[in-house]
Amino acid sequence: MPSLRVPVSWLREYVDVRVPPSELAERLHMAGMEVDHVERTWSWENVWVGRVEELRKHPDADKLLLATVSYGEGRVTTVVTGAPNLATGAIVPYAEAGAMLFDPHAGRVKALEPRKMRGIVSAGMVLSELELGIGPDHEGIMLLDPAAPVGAPLRDVLGETVIQLEIAPNRPDALSLTGIAREAAAILATDFRAPPLEPLAHHLDPSLLTVRTEDDEACPRFTAAYLTGVRMGPSPQWMQQRLAAAGMRPISNVVDVTNYVMLEVGQPLHAYDAERLSGHLLAARLARPGETLRTLDGVERILRPSDLVIADEESVLGLAGIMGGEDSEIRETTTTIALEAASFEPRRTRRTAEAHGLSGSSGSAAARRFSLDLSPELPPVGLARAVHLLREVAGATLVGAVDVYPRPRQVPNVKLRFSDIGRVLGADIGRDEAGDALRRLGFAYAELGDQLVVTPPSIRTDIAIPEDIVEEVARIVGYDRIPTRQPTGVLPLHERHPLEVMRERVRDALVGSGLQETISYALVDEEWLSRLTPDGSPLAPEPLRVTNPTSAQQAILRPTLRASLLDTASRNMKTRRGLAIFEIDPIYLPRPGDLPEERWTIGIALAGLAEPVREGETWLTPERVFDVLDLEGIVDALHRATRSGRGTMERGAPGLHPGRSWRIVDDGRDAVVAGQLHPRVAEMWELPEATFVAEVDLALLLASGRPNAATAPPRYPSAWRDLAFVVDEAAAWLEIETDIRAVGVKGGLEDVALRDLYRGAQIPAGKKSFAVRLTFRSRSGTLSDADVERSVGKIEARLLHRFGATVRAS
Amino acid sequence: MTIALSDLADLAATAEREIAAAADEAALDALRVRYVGRREGEITKALKTLPSLPADQRPAFGAAANAARERIEAALERRGADLREAALARDIAGGAVDLTLPPRRVRVGRYHPISRTIREITRIFAGMGFEAIEGPEVEWDYYNFEALNIPPGHPARDKFSTLWVNAEGTMEVALAATGSGRTIVDAGRKQPMLLRTHTSPMQIRVMEQRRPPVRVVVPGRCYRFEATDATHESVFFQYEGLAIDEQLSMADLKGVLYSFARQLFGGERRVRFRPDYFPFTEPSAEIAFDCFVCEGSGTTDAGRCATCGGSGWIEAAGCGMVHPEALRRVGYDPAKVQGFAFGGGVERLAMLLTGTPDIRLFHQNDLRYLESL
Ligand SMILES: [Zn+2]
Repeated sequence: MPSLRVPVSWLREYVDVRVPPSELAERLHMAGMEVDHVERTWSWENVWVGRVEELRKHPDADKLLLATVSYGEGRVTTVVTGAPNLATGAIVPYAEAGAMLFDPHAGRVKALEPRKMRGIVSAGMVLSELELGIGPDHEGIMLLDPAAPVGAPLRDVLGETVIQLEIAPNRPDALSLTGIAREAAAILATDFRAPPLEPLAHHLDPSLLTVRTEDDEACPRFTAAYLTGVRMGPSPQWMQQRLAAAGMRPISNVVDVTNYVMLEVGQPLHAYDAERLSGHLLAARLARPGETLRTLDGVERILRPSDLVIADEESVLGLAGIMGGEDSEIRETTTTIALEAASFEPRRTRRTAEAHGLSGSSGSAAARRFSLDLSPELPPVGLARAVHLLREVAGATLVGAVDVYPRPRQVPNVKLRFSDIGRVLGADIGRDEAGDALRRLGFAYAELGDQLVVTPPSIRTDIAIPEDIVEEVARIVGYDRIPTRQPTGVLPLHERHPLEVMRERVRDALVGSGLQETISYALVDEEWLSRLTPDGSPLAPEPLRVTNPTSAQQAILRPTLRASLLDTASRNMKTRRGLAIFEIDPIYLPRPGDLPEERWTIGIALAGLAEPVREGETWLTPERVFDVLDLEGIVDALHRATRSGRGTMERGAPGLHPGRSWRIVDDGRDAVVAGQLHPRVAEMWELPEATFVAEVDLALLLASGRPNAATAPPRYPSAWRDLAFVVDEAAAWLEIETDIRAVGVKGGLEDVALRDLYRGAQIPAGKKSFAVRLTFRSRSGTLSDADVERSVGKIEARLLHRFGATVRAS
Repeated sequence: MTIALSDLADLAATAEREIAAAADEAALDALRVRYVGRREGEITKALKTLPSLPADQRPAFGAAANAARERIEAALERRGADLREAALARDIAGGAVDLTLPPRRVRVGRYHPISRTIREITRIFAGMGFEAIEGPEVEWDYYNFEALNIPPGHPARDKFSTLWVNAEGTMEVALAATGSGRTIVDAGRKQPMLLRTHTSPMQIRVMEQRRPPVRVVVPGRCYRFEATDATHESVFFQYEGLAIDEQLSMADLKGVLYSFARQLFGGERRVRFRPDYFPFTEPSAEIAFDCFVCEGSGTTDAGRCATCGGSGWIEAAGCGMVHPEALRRVGYDPAKVQGFAFGGGVERLAMLLTGTPDIRLFHQNDLRYLESL
């Protein structure tokens, strides 16, 4: 947002501010002029509010006076002064020795020293505006408010306060001192004083200066003045002080005047050395092929055909509204100037400034303003003000002025009903009050019954629709006048979104499993993707890239959560020995010609020590590192909590330990990928070997879900048998369990629990022994021993047949 | 040896004495065997003499023997109960453990402060009839800017420093879509792709798909080209609200947001409503809460408060009445319906709720921070 520094003492030139600066800032802020901060400048050490107690003639000099000044706490001193405006009882600024003051003779700020004037020593000084550095006046001593407390530090009474404002881009009219003064006047219900303007008669001998606009859309208005007798030099101290307080560097009187007027009325201007204009011409036109320009910043620029330039008969003088060229720049020897004040189309100005790297806060101040919708009514105002000031500070004489404005812009009349104000605001604002607010803002309006026709001031280019008027009224009467109400009316039918409901259930389930949730950057380092597999081969599709990343670390939209999980784990494992984390976030999968798929994914990572939960606390639980069964347990809990199906496990997944990882593929897409990180990958991330990750596709989890189906507790007792059998090492538990269940279901097999897995001396090598507990139950009655034995027999036969299992005595 | 009738009472008395003195269950069992044992107990032995007694003495002797047995058994019972009681008391006395020792720990999971805050936000707005929905993070320029009255070259784009994506596509804009009951599809519009700079594009997407009344809240991730510091992140979360109906006003907007603030922070937090500017709302406003670090004073012991920049206020959301142009664009009739929209930063709220001093902590995922919450 464009910002503006408002020195309050400068603002007082256009409006009487009868409240302390801090309150002014607060009221501006609450009326929509955003205050970034308020700062105090000019500390004025050793300067006090004094009172002239006695005034005598200097015994040895006619023009000098001896003033006796008291400045509180019984302090009294006598100073020598030549000021003509002092009287007994006057309240004046008094500086003790050591005060830092502007010395008009030396032209700089110096520490005040006692000095002797015609034989009488002055310990201090009574001060003029100029010496204080707050105004141009050096004729007389600055007379303070008679009510100012004698003896108070001057800064408490007069210290300069600068209000730093952030101006909304729709309010270029407020991007100036007078703009803020108008606002302040409306807010404080007081009058606005316009700065003095030089009367401009718009006629000028074309042989001195001709102004032409070849594209009245790009340049709707072009005004210019021709001035002679200019004496170049530094601008007066007060102007330099104000520019500095407002954040601009003083350069020379002519440049300072253009900057001063830009800050004062909001219209940027440009001064040309008129004698260097070929053909005495200033033309606004589009750049021609091959044209170049060396701008004031010393950069040689190749112009684009869409760039609007200001040119004379022969060459380009500047980028219109952005930056002038070196050739036509005014210089110390300049005596005749052509002063330009024009309107430029904001979007073209913006594009040109951007194309030439002159946009933004470090670019051209004029371009920042011309990028906004500045009113075309401003150029003649800026011009007249600048001419007035050039006459005052550079001795310039106005020869004539021109105004090219072929198609004047209409100020809109906005029609609305008084009742619209209540309808939009929900507040009860009376007609008189609304009218008063509009009047204070300088809006003209006519009433026709309930109808209101409002004409905003021409500089208010932001006003176009009834709602704009409503906002203006609300700003001035205050937003605190809007009551708080709860909406009434029909409530829309609410829907629940299954994917989002599922996501929250998963979140709850994983937190319930003791995992810490993390949320990491969706933009990641592309280099990370090459560290997900031992050989660097890609794990995920080619990612979407950010064209203008803030850094290489945030250059791509992550196509997998795994890299983020490993990064989070890796950074944390530097300060701990174990962690269990999860993240639920989308991954971004490009689709040609369309927005990417944002696929919600659950990522889980376990690393290092699983137990004890609290590091080092081994008195109950010995240290144990995570293993793949921990990960399986968490994934299992996730399935249970979400009542989702498990699908068919396939062993192995890219980037993971081939023997300790699995994936579940659903409809050609990975529903679950999980397992121990490949040791080589773990090494690349400086993670322990015991690092486990899982990625679960949320949508597939949802799709495989089963509806809730409550089961009442069984009515008949269960019976159980323990069974132990020896199988080949290669036989997978899941297959065995599945088979047992398939055979046992008819006989009432309810559950199979693995009691033990044994390898060792008591069984042959290459074999393993499973011990299981089989639980039987019938829904229709109590099972007899014979029933159970029959079922166990069938299961044993099946295990023998399918797996060559030999039953051990249990 | 025979027992005389008169001896039975003495036997019982002796037994009672011995039983009362039994030191433990074993001693008690020995006494039980000795006196009332079925085979060799004194009472049994006495009863065995019964047949040898004269018939007329038998009933009296039998009764006396039974009485003696009852006395002895009662004594056994009493002493047994006492012994068990004493044993329990001893056990309990000896079973005290040091309860100050570290317990068997349970792994406690925690929510990330952002997701917890989003949950709070959606829960509170659900209570006010706002349905929670989500939208794409990678967005078309059209929805992020154009449809929100921010055409290319608009100065408001400066506020939204945009991260662009190296892809473009053809967007089908459902111009004046179902909201009006008619659909004009403007197919084949080449569109730049970007990372949404705010959640506001969902205002348009929702209105394109629904007819009034509308009340939705949209949480989600947003992106800006921005240098990060204690209060700024390039990747962050926002929540967007939209309500359209026949007669919603700024007063309703203020009511909803004040109610939200009250539910989130309690009644103590001060709230402020002031004019602001957004191209897609008119009138526009900003809602702010008093700063939780400096209690609204703007200064801390260290000088100017860094959290609120010295203003004493923390901006929580931008809001306003939906611009009539935006309504027309989706086929709503601004003469018949109006409504409000608001959008704010989730991190700001999370910082206020948790006292998190630096916004970067949210994405750093230092478990020492997350576990402190
Ligand atoms: Zn603060």
